Amino acid sequence: MTKEKRKIVAFLCNWCSYGAADLAGVSRMQYPADIRVIRVPCTGRVSPKFILSAFRQGADGVWVSG
Amino acid sequence: MIKFKINGKKVQGEEGQYVIQVAEKYGITIPTLCHHKALEPAGMCRMCTVELFNGRNTKFVTACNYPIWEGMEINTDTEAVHQGRKLIVEMLYARCPEVPLLKKLAKEYEIETVRFPKQDDDCILCGLCVRMCEKMGNSAISLTGRGVDMKIDTPFGIQSDTCLACGACASVCPTGHITLEKIKNEITKKNPFIIPSEYEMGLKGRKPIYVPYAQAVPNNPAIDRDVCMHFKTGGCQICTEVCQMDAIDHSMEDEIIEIDVGSVILSPGFKPFDPSKFDNYMYSNYPNVMTTMEFERILSASGPTQGHLTRLSDNKEPKKIAWFQCIGSRDTNKCDNSYCSSVCCMYAIKEAMIAKEHQGDDLDCSIFFMDMRTPGKEFERYYQNAKEKHGINFIRSRAHSITEVPDTNDLEVRYVNEKGVIQTEIFDIIVLSVGIEIPDETRKFAEKIGIEITENGFCKTDSFEPVKTSRDGIYVAGAFNGPKDIPESVLDASAAASAAGDSLSKARNTLTKIPESVPEINVTGERPRIGVFVCDCGSNINGVVNCAEITEYARTLPFVEFAQESLYTCSQDTQDKMVEYIKEKNLNRVVVAACTPKTHEPLFQETLTNSGLNKYLFEMTNIRNQNSWVHKNNPDLATEKAKDLVRMAVAKSGLAEPLTEEKINLNEKVVIIGGGIAGMAAAKSLASQGYETHIIEQQNFLGGQALKLYRTAKGEDVQLKLKQLINDVSSMDKIKIHLNTTLKSVDGFVGNFKSKLLKQEKDFEIEHGIAIIATGAKGCETSEYCFGENPKIITSLDLDKMLIKNDPEINNINSAVFIQCVGSRETKRPYCSRVCCTHSIENAIILKTKKPEMDIYILYRDIRTYGEKELLYKKARDIGVIFIRYDVNAKPEVTTKGNEISVKVKDHILDMLLEIKPDIVTLATAIVPNKDEKLANFFKVPINEDNFFVEKHAKLGPAEFATDGVFLCGSCHYPKSLDEAVTQAKASASRALTLLSKKDNLYTSGNVADINPMYCSSCGICVSICPYSAPLFTTEGRFKDKAEINPILCKGCGLCVSSCRSGAIHLKGFDTNQIFAQIYALDKAV
Repeated sequence: MTKEKRKIVAFLCNWCSYGAADLAGVSRMQYPADIRVIRVPCTGRVSPKFILSAFRQGADGVWVSG
Repeated sequence: MIKFKINGKKVQGEEGQYVIQVAEKYGITIPTLCHHKALEPAGMCRMCTVELFNGRNTKFVTACNYPIWEGMEINTDTEAVHQGRKLIVEMLYARCPEVPLLKKLAKEYEIETVRFPKQDDDCILCGLCVRMCEKMGNSAISLTGRGVDMKIDTPFGIQSDTCLACGACASVCPTGHITLEKIKNEITKKNPFIIPSEYEMGLKGRKPIYVPYAQAVPNNPAIDRDVCMHFKTGGCQICTEVCQMDAIDHSMEDEIIEIDVGSVILSPGFKPFDPSKFDNYMYSNYPNVMTTMEFERILSASGPTQGHLTRLSDNKEPKKIAWFQCIGSRDTNKCDNSYCSSVCCMYAIKEAMIAKEHQGDDLDCSIFFMDMRTPGKEFERYYQNAKEKHGINFIRSRAHSITEVPDTNDLEVRYVNEKGVIQTEIFDIIVLSVGIEIPDETRKFAEKIGIEITENGFCKTDSFEPVKTSRDGIYVAGAFNGPKDIPESVLDASAAASAAGDSLSKARNTLTKIPESVPEINVTGERPRIGVFVCDCGSNINGVVNCAEITEYARTLPFVEFAQESLYTCSQDTQDKMVEYIKEKNLNRVVVAACTPKTHEPLFQETLTNSGLNKYLFEMTNIRNQNSWVHKNNPDLATEKAKDLVRMAVAKSGLAEPLTEEKINLNEKVVIIGGGIAGMAAAKSLASQGYETHIIEQQNFLGGQALKLYRTAKGEDVQLKLKQLINDVSSMDKIKIHLNTTLKSVDGFVGNFKSKLLKQEKDFEIEHGIAIIATGAKGCETSEYCFGENPKIITSLDLDKMLIKNDPEINNINSAVFIQCVGSRETKRPYCSRVCCTHSIENAIILKTKKPEMDIYILYRDIRTYGEKELLYKKARDIGVIFIRYDVNAKPEVTTKGNEISVKVKDHILDMLLEIKPDIVTLATAIVPNKDEKLANFFKVPINEDNFFVEKHAKLGPAEFATDGVFLCGSCHYPKSLDEAVTQAKASASRALTLLSKKDNLYTSGNVADINPMYCSSCGICVSICPYSAPLFTTEGRFKDKAEINPILCKGCGLCVSSCRSGAIHLKGFDTNQIFAQIYALDKAV
């Protein structure tokens, strides 16, 4: 895993973590550009299949937050 | 357009532009030290020298002020240019060898030794400051002297009257020659200061153009007229040049706008007490003495230290912090605020807890207090946890003064501890818990509009009309209506809204305008034709992400018919264009790559609706908040990420389906469970706004606990006013009262409830849309303090009963004891019953007034007379009521012998055991809710461990349940005084009314789950897992025993979808194939 190619898939709950990610932006906090967010209505929506599938697509990490 | 070449590349610019401007547009960097976009170029530093080929020969020109012309050829990077620049850097470096910028340049140009004699200047005479000062409309400084004596100076080299100390010169100086210090000492006669940011409590500066804080509404920048240079000199106006939308107009003036209204709600708020007038706490002099409001900012992740807890004097992390309570509250010595500010005890504990969270458990936190006042819901538990689990020290002492330890800025405090011993302690930071104060402007305003205020400036209200001012049609909410915290302010706000609505109900919907609706185009079965709109957001996105590249990229994606970049996608003209594009290009899906869907999705969905598309054919991806703003330093990576995000959104959008929103039929009837003061107040409000309301009461009378109360804290006769309320409620046509009635079962959901009731063994049914729970609470039973053994040992309510009856027995009392916290604030019942301190004190005053020679003792743990109730406490002490504090581990002992009662209690001041032989002992017994698990089950609402109902949100949803259409008020939520119960009742009515008034426009969301019965295996997982009880088994028809989802109850969380083993459930708008499409679109990303 080279540093440049690192990719993290994040399933963020619309009501909390997605809002928090927005707020991080409003506060101009800086973080690495490795993350790709998929907005979900609730982390309850995240089926294990999504996580496995993200790994199968080559993700280096999957983050479910809510 | 003028076409020419830079470095062989064809470029074009506009007439009148200079070379450097065009080069910048094409991403070609030309170094410069004296160029500034806002200023006329001067060609002073010569760093921007480039080579010009005019067709016949080459010459050197300065790019910053050389105008472009057709056919010219510019080279910015030839060896000759480079050598020329190197020589300039070498000369400047020789002049200013200590300036960091030139050191860096010298290194870049590989200058090791300087061939010219070194000087020790730090000004390169670029003249930026002079031009900037001129732009500011001032010209206070200029280049003076000639040749080697040339320098930047004021006329005659003396401090100038003309200079307004705006600091613009310092902000553009490339070398640091001009500093704020220099302006102060050498340039201006004025006093330069940093414009304090109001939101950051002055801990940080802000610009003259600013957004007050990140979440400000509206979130538009404003110009501070008092500090903006344009309003002082007529100059500057750089902002108008920079603003691409031409939104700034300096000629705008204040306008007086007249609006015709039927009701007015006042919510002017409060101001935090300013402790700088206290010389003993040295707030203005010691940097490490701060207010709690400042400390809040220090703790905040968006604050001046990014949430890093440090001291103001030396940026060191503190090891010991102390909070001083009651600064500007409960104090008539040093200020005139005799009331309690209600909120400070809780916020001090909260700050101490958060400080410990930030700094770790080593941080030593001490709170110096008089009485710890945590009478709110879950507050006492929080206090006990802070003390016992988190080791926060609570010191009952009022420290007299603070002194600074020389050379360290540490703070020394001398105080007397509870044992009477003088202690000295040193703290790193002392936080003053400042109180709530009504500003003078508010007092003046109140006088102007003719409403009565209390001596402390709070609005005068009646306990039965707690949000109504003394003037008809004017209502009040928030801290102006007495010091209060967030949930109470929210309740006040809702209550004021319903009170204002009560008097306006006849005018409802008379000014409504209905927007024209565009018929929806059927796109089912069509091949997706996606339109992608990329937003620059001014420079918010485009400043980091290459939006042109993203737009170009979007055009290459499958099913994308059209892609366009715009400066502000959310602006009205772009919206109008979007409608045109959708029609013109026949688009059937729209993707917007811009800010966050949380704020902007509804706006774009409306645009879709206006163009005839179903609003669920819209998809938004976030390339601002979650991209350009957070990857500012990595434009390339941010652009790559934006491409990925757009690709994922397009992939999802292609699978979007038009969705329908089910209309919710709303039965307009309301059922209120409980005919106490809260239930009746809610009913009165609803009925006066025209809604049929049924009060269900299990007793054979209305009034509840209020029937047992003598006077309110404001001295009003409860029985008199209660009788009026009962009469009002009984005589209103729209209110149906069902006495002796209990609830047997409830079916249904918001808008469609069916309640079965039982009245004197007869069943009947009410269909209703809304339910309000107001089941109240009662005094707990006790066996403590010999209760029940002697008729002279009574409860607070018994004493009220005696007072109501005007019992002659009262005249025989010569000595009375009140014991507080009987059953409250103990392991078994770890909450504070909130009203008992005020109630006992109020009764003590009544007794003392009736019979001044009576000895009255109140045995208490903390006196919790919050808000202006504190005045009662003060009055009681003034007229000679004796207060003795006891510890929960050494409770008073009550013994009876025949008719004689003896109360033994340890006095903490005398440190002696006292014995009192009273004629009467009144026990302030805890308030316990009428626990009703059946009711909770009927409406699917939660109960907490103390048996109170749990509201939707402790702060923001205090009068409603998480279950739609069900509301709560009164003491079933938490013990509360009469006026607080009425406020919450009106608030619950208000929340119900917001639903009722939407009757014809109430729809479910389209994003709900849907079951394909053909795939359903009837396993029941969805039924058991859903927190909202949306899935149920079908009871009849073809798909009997298969699960189906009630879209009205479904919140679209998708829990059932991911739990369904058969794959029978789909979540519309977030369907499995859509999320998979997003994941598969990652393929190229990873």
